[in-house]
Amino acid sequence: MGKQANEYSYPWLEEGEVPPLPLDRDRIHIISQGVADPVFDYDIVPLTYTESRWMAFVVEADEAALKAITPDPIDLHDNILEFWYVIHRNTMLGPYMEFGVTESATVSGADAQVWKGGYYPYMYLSNDSPIFAGREPFGFPKKAAYIAAYEHGTNDNYFNMTMERRGYVLHSANGRYSDKPVSVKPTFYGKTDWGRLNYRITTHPSVAYSDHQVTYLGSELPPQFGTGHRFQLDPSSVRTCTGDDVRTWYMAGTPFDFMGGSLGNVTVHGLISFTFNLIIPPASIVWEKRVERNDDDVAKHLLFSTPYKYTMRHRFLTPYYPGA
Amino acid sequence: MPSHLNVDTKYWTLTDEIPAPPVERDIKSWIIGNPSDPLWDIDVLPLTYSDSRWSAFVLDVDADTRQRLCPNPPLTIWDGDDAELVEYWYVQHNNTMLGPYLEFGVTISASHTDAKGNTWKGGYYPYMYLTSDSAVDAGRVLGFPKKMAYIRCTEHGGEKGDDFYGFSMSRNGYLLCAQQGKYDDAPVKPPFFYGKTDWGKFNMKVITRPDVASSEWQLTYLPSKLPPAFNVEGHRFQIKNELTRTASGDSIDWFQQATPFDNMGAELKVNEVKGLISFTFDLVIPPAEVVWNETYERPASYRGYATPYQYGLRQQFPIHQGA
Repeated sequence: MGKQANEYSYPWLEEGEVPPLPLDRDRIHIISQGVADPVFDYDIVPLTYTESRWMAFVVEADEAALKAITPDPIDLHDNILEFWYVIHRNTMLGPYMEFGVTESATVSGADAQVWKGGYYPYMYLSNDSPIFAGREPFGFPKKAAYIAAYEHGTNDNYFNMTMERRGYVLHSANGRYSDKPVSVKPTFYGKTDWGRLNYRITTHPSVAYSDHQVTYLGSELPPQFGTGHRFQLDPSSVRTCTGDDVRTWYMAGTPFDFMGGSLGNVTVHGLISFTFNLIIPPASIVWEKRVERNDDDVAKHLLFSTPYKYTMRHRFLTPYYPGA
Repeated sequence: MPSHLNVDTKYWTLTDEIPAPPVERDIKSWIIGNPSDPLWDIDVLPLTYSDSRWSAFVLDVDADTRQRLCPNPPLTIWDGDDAELVEYWYVQHNNTMLGPYLEFGVTISASHTDAKGNTWKGGYYPYMYLTSDSAVDAGRVLGFPKKMAYIRCTEHGGEKGDDFYGFSMSRNGYLLCAQQGKYDDAPVKPPFFYGKTDWGKFNMKVITRPDVASSEWQLTYLPSKLPPAFNVEGHRFQIKNELTRTASGDSIDWFQQATPFDNMGAELKVNEVKGLISFTFDLVIPPAEVVWNETYERPASYRGYATPYQYGLRQQFPIHQGA
């Protein structure tokens, strides 16, 4: 015992493979904490994606159920959802798996401008940097989950997806592409005047207030990121199937994740899959509000639990982040 | 015919252990996104921990390294007794309001003095890693520099049943650090802040605007003593001394390296591994004060370090399937 070694070399820096160490930079080049080694760093900007594979179920849900999960000032447009998995193979955040639900929605700004976009009530990812790069600046509602999604077999005809968190399966589906058209599509599909909406909440460390913001990502790229639209689909890569071709579908609400409980008894109209490139530029703020709390508010609205008493949401298998 | 099943159980209607989704509650209770199903919610508050197991390696680290890791302004490293001692710790959290998880961190003794001469003393964390998403996010609200990693903590075997130990941490396929050995219960001198109730904990929070036009840095401070609102008397950290084990530096096998994704092994230069102190404890983490802040503006033309669609070393690693 007592054998010890510290390897201090950082050869990637000398060879230009990695950006300068954070502590050697001007502070404008730190976009995230920790400031010595951020969870996502400025080498993710501009945030691009190449040949990601999108697999989107088109799902119809009860309109009242959707309104119940959509916070003011976001207005639900209709009850057709995109219920999607993505395999991200090449991104500035590295490869990762992703899941999300997108509803068509609008927000009316103070100057009567209406912002149209897909709003995300639920998102799950498989690793940390894209979770926090999405949550912190933009407000994407990302959580970590186990996600499997793939196509296989002759001509990649078969598909399968599963998502699990804390021992409960949130969703699973599989089936075979028939390449028949999907009878219903989300409103925002193919519309370049529809962007993406997120609801961001940033709470002060003292919990004295929370800043609520609706952020908006336009379809068109801002000038410093080039020209054109941020989402570039490869038409030759599209595969489809109908609801009847989705062999099995299972979705459940869990104690930790409310999606299945809140969306209710949905109808699956089909699946649309395609390969795409993407840029996620900075977002604008289209609505904001500060909600303040005094000591009484903290006691009344925040201190839900009893100190040192652990209940069902505090008990689950110890998570082992699998990025070993 | 295909089999389609939607199990629409709303667990919050079955038990009062689970808060309803924020969208069904007063907006003052919305603490984090998303309003329909937050990553963590008010049932983590007050944030308490029971019977967590802390295993802290005590390192000798020179002043230049410590000051580089403590951003100045606003922090100054401690230059008094035992200033060179840095805590390098693993924790197995068994019972917490965020559920169980494993954690790693580095703590350096530091202080901040404001323009009026008020001084705050505390341990500052340049690096932290955890195994759980909600615990990472809840910590980041307070400024903790948390990332996710694969962490292992083991104590087992020998005459006392926990004489041997092994710890390790990996991320994106690279091993960051590994330690193993046997407790010899030799005396180990702890970092200066150990047991000092006038020393709290510092973190540096960074809030970047959605348009990346600016980032605000906030130095946050968690005092040792609990605020009245928590209705828990005393100090946040309660050690159960009877479960303490120690190991001398000579009994510890130690390895640490930098990786392309995590620079700790390059930045944290270790003169000597002085020993290991392990103990069991209870903890409360209350809200934090902001004792310093500064905003850094970026020009409208700012576009980061990357080249669109060109992926380098830090963008290539095995795909994760998730936790």
